Amino acid sequence: MRQVELHHGAATDVGLVREVNEDAFLASPPVFVVADGMGGHDGGDVASAIVVEEFASLADAGYDPRRGAEAVATTLGECQRRIAEYGEQQVSSGRHQWYAGTTVVVALLVEDDSGPQWLLANLGDSRIYRFADDELDQVSVDHSVVQELIEAGTITSDDAATHPERNVITRALGGPEMAQADYFLLPLPSVERLVLCSDGVSGMIDDDAMAAILRDTDDPRDAADRVVAAAVTAGGRDNATAVVVDVVGLVAEHDYDSARQMESLEQKLGALP
Amino acid sequence: MTSPHVRDSTRSYRPGGWFGIFGDHATVLLPPSEKARVAQLWELVDDGAGFDEVLDALISSGLRELPGFVLVSELETDTKVVIRGSARASFTADSGPIELEGSTATTWVERSLTGVTRMVIEVGDLTEGDDLPITNGLVRVGRVDAPPYEPEPEPEPEPEPVVPFAAEPEHEPGEPDDQDQDPEDVEDTAATPIPEDLGAPVPVPVPDPPPPPISSAPAPPTTDHDGMTRAGSHDPDQFAPQQPGIPGQPPAPSITRPVARLVFSSGQTVEVDRATLVGRAPEARRFPSTEQPRLVTVPSPHHEISSTHLEIRPGSGADHGSAVVIDLGSTNGTVLVQPGLAPEDLQAGIAIQLIPGAIIDLGDGVTIQVMNP
Repeated sequence: MRQVELHHGAATDVGLVREVNEDAFLASPPVFVVADGMGGHDGGDVASAIVVEEFASLADAGYDPRRGAEAVATTLGECQRRIAEYGEQQVSSGRHQWYAGTTVVVALLVEDDSGPQWLLANLGDSRIYRFADDELDQVSVDHSVVQELIEAGTITSDDAATHPERNVITRALGGPEMAQADYFLLPLPSVERLVLCSDGVSGMIDDDAMAAILRDTDDPRDAADRVVAAAVTAGGRDNATAVVVDVVGLVAEHDYDSARQMESLEQKLGALP
Repeated sequence: MTSPHVRDSTRSYRPGGWFGIFGDHATVLLPPSEKARVAQLWELVDDGAGFDEVLDALISSGLRELPGFVLVSELETDTKVVIRGSARASFTADSGPIELEGSTATTWVERSLTGVTRMVIEVGDLTEGDDLPITNGLVRVGRVDAPPYEPEPEPEPEPEPVVPFAAEPEHEPGEPDDQDQDPEDVEDTAATPIPEDLGAPVPVPVPDPPPPPISSAPAPPTTDHDGMTRAGSHDPDQFAPQQPGIPGQPPAPSITRPVARLVFSSGQTVEVDRATLVGRAPEARRFPSTEQPRLVTVPSPHHEISSTHLEIRPGSGADHGSAVVIDLGSTNGTVLVQPGLAPEDLQAGIAIQLIPGAIIDLGDGVTIQVMNP
């Protein structure tokens, strides 16, 4: 795969209300993940950690960049299997009410005939935003009851922020059946910066506040820190996690060729036809 | 756990046209037109479902399908009420008397109240009749009273320690006014977990025929949640993603042998063996893992071509074996010239079968020639 130079930053915070940070993230270029676990201590934190482990092995082992969606689907299936296996252990050791699940958002680089692209995947209500030309654009579509109601035209997006069911998600890893993720493909040039975050960020600060931070902060490490800090300052009702990835450029594929450079210069100067 | 005899006289109803579903943790009133869903809700409520679960079930097919309803749920000293449509309710709570009318809101009226000592719900037309006591059960109602209706209601409700609606001593009268629906307050109640232990089933003294349980959809277990985000208890098919292609027809195999070859004016050649998105900066959104499309970027110096302009993919159904083209709502449109036919402007979203030799014009001098594979 054509090498793409990426800079990234990541931050997470337990928030002001929770005792356990059930969020987990992975920043292992070219694979980036945020997972928001549900189920409490020894539940949600384990589920999100399993997701990060599995995608870390995917990043280490590598994948066919032309079959990215298949690689992600296989990895998600493995996560589901391991969460269920861990759940069976818990139940057999006497914790009958045990439950754990996790959301997942994934961004990884893939390749097609036309060059490198971002492949994004989403399960649940964690989010992926694209930041380009100073505009923030939510790419992933939440798997939540309020999102379904918005799409059905039953409520407006303004109602969603106060709807009694705004925290109920319709798809996640760890349920009785394997939930299918949504996938997205974005051409590399359309993305200057990607943000992956848990709902502890997107539920505490609005898109305008996030866009303002991303506009003012060039370094992705500082941007991730400041986005999470803003979510905690705004109330910190949930674990807050953000991963910020900047596309810096393509790595040159060919070594410097002095002979070709001279030919090109002569052409420009008119010495050659 | 509350034993049945304590609850014997906690509420009464007056017969009417609406359906009244009374359970341990929730009371639901539905208009006569909603008869079809009563049995399912009764099963849920009788199993001890709480506020969130019942609300889920009520709005599962969308609010538009539900002209009106009343949902009341008590948890300790908190009472949550949702009213939609023509129903009216009045409460006496810590914060004083409160009147709620469903018709005042386009979606619904919701309140969280503490220390409710009296509740009257009126639905449909006022009907005369005797008020009957009820604990749990499914009956036709016109009015519900808690504590039970008395012909001449006294201004001071005497039986102060009524179990489900009684104010507990730890609650001070000067609590913040719930009527303003302070967002923080709603937040707190929304995050209140629903107790799992629902106690023994209560015998149902139903004067009307008992509800026939049509579908035995058991109430899904209330999943332990982390206080905020929780997994939903929805029918997985209900919000299932829409399958692409023609409804009622099996979707085309995602990766097949190529059905056509596309020659772009830039010289690029693409085999149509899967969905191919063409544009100035094409993007693919919300596709399943088995249907990863190909993105083809074409130059558009004058921005005449939209970022994701059109899609060419193997056809399904009647178009099986050939390629189809779909304009994806592009700004400046697409012109298709098929051999032997007059040029046509593609209509957004309509799939047109491509004949070998066809030429697709996207604007800005970009054309695609369709060849046999």
